[in-house]
Amino acid sequence: MTLQIETQHGKRRENEHKLTPEASQELLQILVDNIKEYAILTLDPNGRVTTWTPAAERLEGYRAEEVIGKHFSIFYTKEDFEGGKCEQELEVAAREGRFEDEGWRVRKDGSRFWANVMITALRDSNGTLKGFGKVARDMTDRKQADERLRQQNRDVLEMATVPVVQVWEGILLVPLIGTLDSARTQQLMERLLQRLTETGSQVALVDITGVPTIDTQTAQHLIETIKAVRYIGADVVLTGVRPVIAQTLVHLGVDLSSATTRASLAGGLRVALDLLDLHVGAVVRDGRMLVQ
Amino acid sequence: MSAAEAISVIRVRNVLLVTMPGDPDDSTIAALQERALDAMSAEHVRGLVLDLSKVEILDSYFARTVAETAQMVGLMGGETIIAGMRPSVAITATELGVTLGRTRTVMTVDHALDLAGRELAKEKSRR
Amino acid sequence: MNIQDRGEVKIETEADIALARRAVREVAAKMGFGITETARIVTAVSELGRNVHKYAGSGVMRWCTLRNGENAGLELRFEDYGPGIDDVNEALREGYSTGGGLGMGLPGAKRLMDQLDIQSAPGHGTTVTVRKWRRL
Repeated sequence: MTLQIETQHGKRRENEHKLTPEASQELLQILVDNIKEYAILTLDPNGRVTTWTPAAERLEGYRAEEVIGKHFSIFYTKEDFEGGKCEQELEVAAREGRFEDEGWRVRKDGSRFWANVMITALRDSNGTLKGFGKVARDMTDRKQADERLRQQNRDVLEMATVPVVQVWEGILLVPLIGTLDSARTQQLMERLLQRLTETGSQVALVDITGVPTIDTQTAQHLIETIKAVRYIGADVVLTGVRPVIAQTLVHLGVDLSSATTRASLAGGLRVALDLLDLHVGAVVRDGRMLVQ
Repeated sequence: MSAAEAISVIRVRNVLLVTMPGDPDDSTIAALQERALDAMSAEHVRGLVLDLSKVEILDSYFARTVAETAQMVGLMGGETIIAGMRPSVAITATELGVTLGRTRTVMTVDHALDLAGRELAKEKSRR
Repeated sequence: MNIQDRGEVKIETEADIALARRAVREVAAKMGFGITETARIVTAVSELGRNVHKYAGSGVMRWCTLRNGENAGLELRFEDYGPGIDDVNEALREGYSTGGGLGMGLPGAKRLMDQLDIQSAPGHGTTVTVRKWRRL
């Protein structure tokens, strides 16, 4: 913050607007006490708290009389303390002049918050280290927002890699593209089962036209997915089983006989509709399905 | 054992509806088998509907008990339908590699009762 | 969020298996694991806790949170002073069973968790350590 000194009559008047040392000290104190977002405190050269502010109390939970004289390691997590983080921070601040960090800190009640912290070495005009200034900001909200964003990105990515589409009432379609490794299978199972439960759908058409090759592992993953789907009371029709895939499966000795499989998606859809006791000749008129 | 963690066994139409709590301990799981079989012999029901919609964990012991119970119910001439398994439970059960024996699985208790009703109707028409 | 770093549950009776599950479920939820991941972890606890009870009679489950940069993990250690396992590799293979049941639960736990470590020798008890990392 800069104190703008306005003069209307030039330099001669400047000194008249300068604050006395006491007044500027008081003003600074008011400033520090009134900043709500940043907890400002000072430490002695050994790391013990020497001054405290209302914002610091709000952030850390300690009142001034509870914390002055205590070592600032009380604000750190057990792991950090045992790892020597506190000494490290003071060391770097003393050497470089400042130290900045983001990490977990602990409040008086034991709860944790994500803090952005800056520690500055305070030296007098002779260069002697008189202590440290510490400014901390609670970034938990921002960190939570970041994590939510990351989760959203993951969700979007998951949707893109495991697309699940409702093609009919009670029938979901999963057009698989690419290979099916363990990680992707987990995503597939979680996403498909979730969508089946959410929509109350009883049949999932898993189309493997876009899966280039099928090995024993992929086949196992598909079998597992079918098992899990059956456990929740739905079923899978595996479609897109082209001649070359059928050949590979038989040669590998993979037993998919307990599953319902079809060469084409259309064939699979017919099976699905049968499973739902609907007839293919069903007609939708005025929003109502008339069964022929 | 708190009330919340107890099994509920009631007769609904021609089946026994057994509702399992969220995280039953071993003695509760053992009780499932006992009570199901007792009720089956006493109440002349066609089968067992096991409502797992509240269950959060299905370990190998739970799975084995269910499979055994289904087998015993089968020997007594009944059928076992499992309803409402949660996705997270279905996935872990698959990854754990358990089997639930000769049981049919449906999405809801409603489905299970409908299914049992249809089976009974079929049986009656055959006689 | 108040995360306790570590804890333990003694496994002495059958009912303690359920206690262990509950304790870990709470920790996993606080750590932000999703529903399915939590289910995997708790199921593994059930399998390994049951092993302790079934084969050693009693033991302890110790858990602690881990931090690896920005990744958070949960470590569970099952210790007992039971008879120990003759052939660890054999026990880890799918389908292995001596108890007449579905197997020792080790292959299952290994499948459900990210890492599994086992130290055991006949007459020297068994320690099974498993870890699960939060996907960030």
